[in-house]
Amino acid sequence: MKFKDKLKSNKFLITAELFPPKGTDISFFSKRADCLLNSGVDAVNVTDNQRASMRTSSLAMCKILADKGIEPILQLTARDRNRIALQSDLLGASVLGIENVLILSGDHPKFGDYANAKAVYDLDTIQLIKTTKMLGSGFDLAGKKLCGSPNFCVGAVVNPTAYPNEMQVLMFEKKIKAGAEFFQTQTVFDVEIFKAFYDKVKSFGVKVLAGVMLIKSAKSLSFFQNLPGVTVPKEIQKKIASSSVALKDGIDICAQTIKQLRQFADGVHIMSIGMEELIPEIINKS
Amino acid sequence: MIITEKKQKEALLQSLKGFDKLFLTACGGCAAKSLTADEKSVKEIMDFLVSNGKTILESAVIESVCDMRLVKKTLSRNENMQKADVVVALSCGAGVQSIESVLKEKNIIPALDSKYIGSTKRIGIYKKFCSVCGSCILDQTQGICPRTRCAKSLVNGPCGGFVNGKCEIDQNTDCAWVLIYEKLKNNGKCQDFLNQYVVPL
Ligand code: SF4
Ligand code: SF4
Repeated sequence: MKFKDKLKSNKFLITAELFPPKGTDISFFSKRADCLLNSGVDAVNVTDNQRASMRTSSLAMCKILADKGIEPILQLTARDRNRIALQSDLLGASVLGIENVLILSGDHPKFGDYANAKAVYDLDTIQLIKTTKMLGSGFDLAGKKLCGSPNFCVGAVVNPTAYPNEMQVLMFEKKIKAGAEFFQTQTVFDVEIFKAFYDKVKSFGVKVLAGVMLIKSAKSLSFFQNLPGVTVPKEIQKKIASSSVALKDGIDICAQTIKQLRQFADGVHIMSIGMEELIPEIINKS
Repeated sequence: MIITEKKQKEALLQSLKGFDKLFLTACGGCAAKSLTADEKSVKEIMDFLVSNGKTILESAVIESVCDMRLVKKTLSRNENMQKADVVVALSCGAGVQSIESVLKEKNIIPALDSKYIGSTKRIGIYKKFCSVCGSCILDQTQGICPRTRCAKSLVNGPCGGFVNGKCEIDQNTDCAWVLIYEKLKNNGKCQDFLNQYVVPL
């Protein structure tokens, strides 16, 4: 069953994500991807120049996944391309058989290797979601008719931990109005915070996959804590700080979080940052 | 007004290489008000240039350099201007180009960098509120411009990066959308926000 159809089922959905290589050697990417074959993962995101640092295109790497029989979710940010390039890439993705796209604003260039790069934002996220749906109706943003049109399943992002939270709830609804068919969230460590958010939006009937992160070490935890909008509960901080087996604890925390989410949520999006070989274990334990 | 900054002195000197007889123009409008072309700044730059071997034939203050008619009236028949190798302009980029378009044959060097259109809070403290987009949406955004004040120019609502009301790229800057949201909430306009769609420019 395709991801798009699974969204209509009652299945607890699991997505993972891979970073494209920085360069043309895809062997590491390929090995990570192979770990996700038959692992219980329903689809795999490929990030789009995450943290505003340049990498190989998400589009190319999505095609590699598709060829392996893994269903890709193309991440597409509004940061680097104008409306011509965005639409062109979307059509290209469709031609290559990519059917899922996750629209996001993208980390600001200030965070990456190119602090002075032009932050394009020719379209904002809502406009880009609408544009993607519009291509599906057979017309481009300029109203010109397409010869052959894509049929994307469009996802969007929401941050359940951002305060004021009500603004994210409004954005959730606004993104659905624009055409969003599923959501993935920024990392949640605290299931209660996610639940409070989820309770406010579940009546919309659009699936929300909670973002969960694998903590690999005390160092990686402190990195996450410094990311915008991430809150880590005190117990987790303490546990990892004093642990001699941080990775093992990280796996347990991740599995435990998923287990709790299975009780009520629609699914999870697992961010394992280069340790995809651990995902089957995490899923088994959850 | 247009907020300008003084160019690095060394860089200015570099661009004046090969020019000896200078004609200085200072804008009496925005640049004078934002203290980049006021009397003190003009004197400072003149002293610097003279101490570096340049001859300044004249320095003229023009009330608003962006008014080409004024530039023409003041400069086109000026004798010192005819003798000068180069015009050093203390004004915004529009001012520099109004001089260029009046005095076609003259070399012209800007002494300032134009930064943005700003509102003055007090001298030296300016707020960037408008980026002259050509299609004002302040009626839909509670009088707060997200094109200018959101780091990603998102016009239909925020990203997910704001933390306690501050922008993800700078913890000292308010997230424009949180400011807009507070007003939407207080004015009972959240439903309007949901239904409104700002089209691409
Ligand atoms: S929307 Fe913003 S940038 Fe455009 S005219 Fe209005 S204030 Fe200026
Ligand atoms: S945090 Fe707010 S101001 Fe900053 S980029 Fe996001 S929406 Fe814009």
